[in-house]
Formats: sequence, structure tokens, C-alpha cells
Amino acid sequence: MARNLKTISSRMVIAVLLIHAVMLPLLSYGMLTVVRTAQQEVFIDHVRIYSRVFADILQAKAVFPSEGEIIASLDSSILGGRCVHAALTVGDSRYLSSLMAVADGARFDEDFEFGEHGDDVYYLSTPLQLGDDLAVLELGFDEMPTLQEIAAARETIIYITLGYLLVTVFLVIILSALLSKPLQRLRHDSRQVASGDYTRQMSTDSNIFEINELSRDLEHMRSTLVGINARLAAEMASREAAETERRKVETQLRHMHRLQSIGTLAGGVAHEFNNVLLPLLLYTDLALEDLPEGSPVRPHIERVMRLANRAKGLSEQILTFGRRSDDGLKHVADISPIVDEAMSMVRALIPASIDIRTDIKRPAGPLSCDPNEVQQLIVNLCSNAYRAVVKGGGKITVGVAPCLVKSELVSKQPRLEKGEYIRLRVADTGEGMDAATVERIFDPFFTTREVGDGTGLGLSVVHGIVERHGGDIVVESEPGVGTTIDVYFPQTAADDIQDAQGTISDE
Amino acid sequence: MSKVIIIDDEEDIRVVLKEVFVRAGFDVRVASDGDEGLTLLREEPADLVITDIIMPGKDGVQTAYDIRMEFPKTKIIVMSGGGNAAPQDYEPSAIATTAYLASATEIGADLTLTKPFDRHELIKAANELIAQQDAS
Repeated sequence: MARNLKTISSRMVIAVLLIHAVMLPLLSYGMLTVVRTAQQEVFIDHVRIYSRVFADILQAKAVFPSEGEIIASLDSSILGGRCVHAALTVGDSRYLSSLMAVADGARFDEDFEFGEHGDDVYYLSTPLQLGDDLAVLELGFDEMPTLQEIAAARETIIYITLGYLLVTVFLVIILSALLSKPLQRLRHDSRQVASGDYTRQMSTDSNIFEINELSRDLEHMRSTLVGINARLAAEMASREAAETERRKVETQLRHMHRLQSIGTLAGGVAHEFNNVLLPLLLYTDLALEDLPEGSPVRPHIERVMRLANRAKGLSEQILTFGRRSDDGLKHVADISPIVDEAMSMVRALIPASIDIRTDIKRPAGPLSCDPNEVQQLIVNLCSNAYRAVVKGGGKITVGVAPCLVKSELVSKQPRLEKGEYIRLRVADTGEGMDAATVERIFDPFFTTREVGDGTGLGLSVVHGIVERHGGDIVVESEPGVGTTIDVYFPQTAADDIQDAQGTISDE
Repeated sequence: MSKVIIIDDEEDIRVVLKEVFVRAGFDVRVASDGDEGLTLLREEPADLVITDIIMPGKDGVQTAYDIRMEFPKTKIIVMSGGGNAAPQDYEPSAIATTAYLASATEIGADLTLTKPFDRHELIKAANELIAQQDAS
């Protein structure tokens, strides 16, 4: 209830009622006073004129009227409907209208104002000359009709006032409704916006200036909010994207550093290993030279020789993985013949039942490389692809093509730069790998094969070769779908590189 | 008879290389570091010096340089275990030995070899280098 009294329309109605409670009584009292005064004045004027005329008529008679004539005249004034009292005093004689009770005739209270004495009769005495005598005419006029008229006028004034009040309140209610409706709509809309519906536009079809201004300001506020909201959302999205990107690059860098430190360690181990292998191989060689043919020890020593040679092979692979220098790279005008040669080696190694397809662009691009290492890389990748397809079937595709590395790939592979590369792709539709395996495939001695089946160095060697050539590797794999390994080698024009210096010079 | 000096800090390698060269008919002396090798060379010049590259004391690069300065005609073979290695107390602890071999070549080594190598290959290379020396 208290809240209802605080609404615009109830406030306006209350204000109007208060104003009218003060003003209307004053107004109607004033009106009534005017009406009453007018009526009374008309009445008094009227009776005075009547009395004077009546007296003049009597005075004008040439001869002194008889008593009968006087009484007849007085009667006519009562019969004419004007008077309730008529009497004439001439000297000591007093005449009364025959239509009046004698008791009433004795009564006469001269009135000066309307309604005086509360007898509802206005008594008026008029002096006149009858012959030589002075006479006084007394007439009493009925005040009731005038009083009734005044009462009727008061009633009318009250009705008009009440009617006016009703119409005013009605208009105020309509007006306040017109005023509060657009405000309520604005309130509804702003509640919607506050509860999260930012698309709701604020508008009113009000033609009230202030409400329109308010509506426009609220709408401006809303659209600003929507803008800020959108900017915030976009900002958050871009930050999230940047964070994801950063994590990705960080993971790759960590991976790279890990491989580098493993490479450094492996290189150190290989160095020591080779210092052992050299005398081992040479002593064994010398021992074999000294042993007579047919010696029972000879097969054992030969076996030692073979094993030492295998160890030498392992050491070379480790060194290939750990090698950093670009010594020994030479410029070739086109990689595709190197790939062809590697593919013939691959076909010789892998059973003919395996479907191997090649897609080699000619020329695929110039690069500075160690051809033996590039071939080794292709053989190793194909050997892995073969292991992936041999169980469940599938095919191997080897493709080489020039390739323009763009910024989106650079952002994922920090070691690449924008520019021209040669992309070597070895794809298989074999068993695929999960993410954890992909993470570790370049680690030396990491293998998913049975113990004794392979050294786990194949992809480490691939990694070392790619690194030495300034390239990068992208591995995509999905269990059950297959694996695609893309190797990127930077293209190098012939004049980009100085003649690589061989470690063995034999002039 | 061609004279060879073998410098290596590891006894096993010194001994086996000496044996290899003796069997090939060379006059062989051995030293365990660069200074010792230079002393031997000053006592009696040699046709060929084979030195390891990573050694305590005077390393192979320095030795090759000193020999080249003092004995311009002596042929030098520098050999390395490959991979990464560094002299003691050296930071960063790992340097690719290919870098050492390259600098040895710059300084004047006639040939660099990465261990392990075949003995016939070694003898063949030694004979070729000595033949060059004789020719010049």
C-alpha cells in the first residue's frame, strides 16, 4: 500500500486532491456568495420599487379614498402574489388587508437586510401623502422563493464542483498513466539488460522530452556496455589463444632443448666409446692376422670383430643424432635424384607386398645437404612406416615438393622461418601413435618394438640429420588412422653457401 | 724406413697403433702428450706425427701448430673420438670435436681422422702423405 502511494499516478492524484480540497470550497463559497447577494439585491430592489409604485398610486388619487378602496388596494397587493402582509396607517387610523389575519396585522418588524429577524418576510414601510394627511404604507414580502432559488443555486454549484473534481481526477489518472507507461517499459527493459539480455534495445514511443532523453541515455549506456562486453570477450578469447599458442611453443622448445641435451650427452658418450672402440677393433684385427687358419679361437675372435663393428655402427648413429655442425654439407641443385636413389634402397629393403607410392616433384628444389644422410633419413622414416603398416595393412606414400612456409606454420614450429623449403613427406595408413608416444619418438633408444627388434635410434638419427640441415620435423599421428611425418629442408641457392670443407682432404 | 711418432694420452691406443705401424714396417716412437712428442721430434725428426686431439696438457691442435712451425716438412695426422668432448676445466663442457678437427686443419694438419678407423686405411693414408713429402 505504501508503495502504491509512491507511484507517479497516486502522487499526482493526491496532489490534485489536495489542491482541490483547498481551492474548491473557497471557489464554491465565493460563487455562492455572489449568487446570494445578487438574488437578495434583486429582491430588495424589486420590493422597494413595488412599494414606491403602490404608494404613488395611492397618493395620486385626487380625492381621499374610502376605507373600502384602501382595503381593496391592500388586498390586491396580496392577491397579486407579491405580498403576505399589507397595511396602511393614516393618522390614527390603521387599515389592514382583509386577506390577512388580524393577529398577523399587528406584527410588523421593519427589515433593512434580506432575511433579517428570521421570519422569512421582508417588512418595508413607505411614507406617502394622502390628501392633507401623512400615511405609512406597510408591506411584507415573502422571502421564501428567493431563499429557495439561492438554495437551488448552491446545489447546482456543489454538483458542478464535484463533477469538475471527478473529471480532473480522471484526466490526472489518464495523464499519469501516459507518463508512467513508458517509464515502466524502460524499467522492464533495463531489468532485462541487468539480467544479462544485452541485445534488448531500450526505446519508448513517448513524446515526453525528459522520458525520451532518459531512454536515449539508457540505450547509449546499454550499447556502450555491449561494446565493452564484446571487447572484453574478444580480449579474453585472444588471450586464451595466445596462451595456448605460448604453451605449445614452450612445449616444443622444451622438447627441443631436451633433445639437444640428450644429443650433447650422447655425443660425449660416443667420444669415449670411440676411444675404446679404436683399440678394440685394431687389437682384434691384429689378433686375427696372427691366428693361423683353422685355429679353434678364430671363430670367436671373428665374432668379437663383428660385434665391435656393430658397436661402431651404433656409435655412428648416436653421433649423427648429436651432430650440430654443418660440416660436410654440399650443395645439390635438386633433391629429387637423392630421393630416387633412397627409394630404390627402400624398395630393396621392404617386401614387395607393401604398397609404396611416390609423388616426387622434379625439380623439388636445391639444398645444401649430405646426400648420404638424406638417404639415411628417408630409409629410416620408410622403415618406421613399414613397421606401422606391416601389422594391419595399409600403404606408404613418399612425397617431395617445394613448399612455401607461411607464418601460421612458423608460429607452431619455432625453428622454421618464413620462406622456401623442400617438404619431404612420409605418410602411412598404419597403426598410428598416441600423443605420449609422439612426444618421445625422437629420444635415443626409445622404441615401441619388442626388445631386440631395432635399436630405437632410427628417428633419433632422423632428428639429428634434420637439425644438421637446419630443417624441422612435423609429426601428425592418430592411433588407427596412420602417421604423417613432414620434414622441411630450407632451400638454398648455390651461391648461398661456401664450398663445404670435407674432414678428409686427400690432395 | 719412414719414421712415425704417435701421441695419445691413452696407453691402449698408443700401444696398438705402434704395433700397427711396426707391422707395416715403420720406425715408431710414442708419446703421451704434445710436449713429449715435440721432445721426441727434436731429438730426431720424423716423417709423420699422428696425434690425438683431446689430451691433458698440450692438446692436439696446439701440438699440430707447434710442429708445423718448427718442422714444416713433417706430415701431421690429427685424430679424434668424434662426438663432443672438451679439455679439462673448459666451459661449455661440450664442443663438437668436428670443430677441433676443422681448426686443426686450418692450422696445418694434413689429415684428420675420426676414431674408430681401419688399420689399412690408416697405413694407406700414412704412406700417401709420406710419398707427398718425398715428392715435394
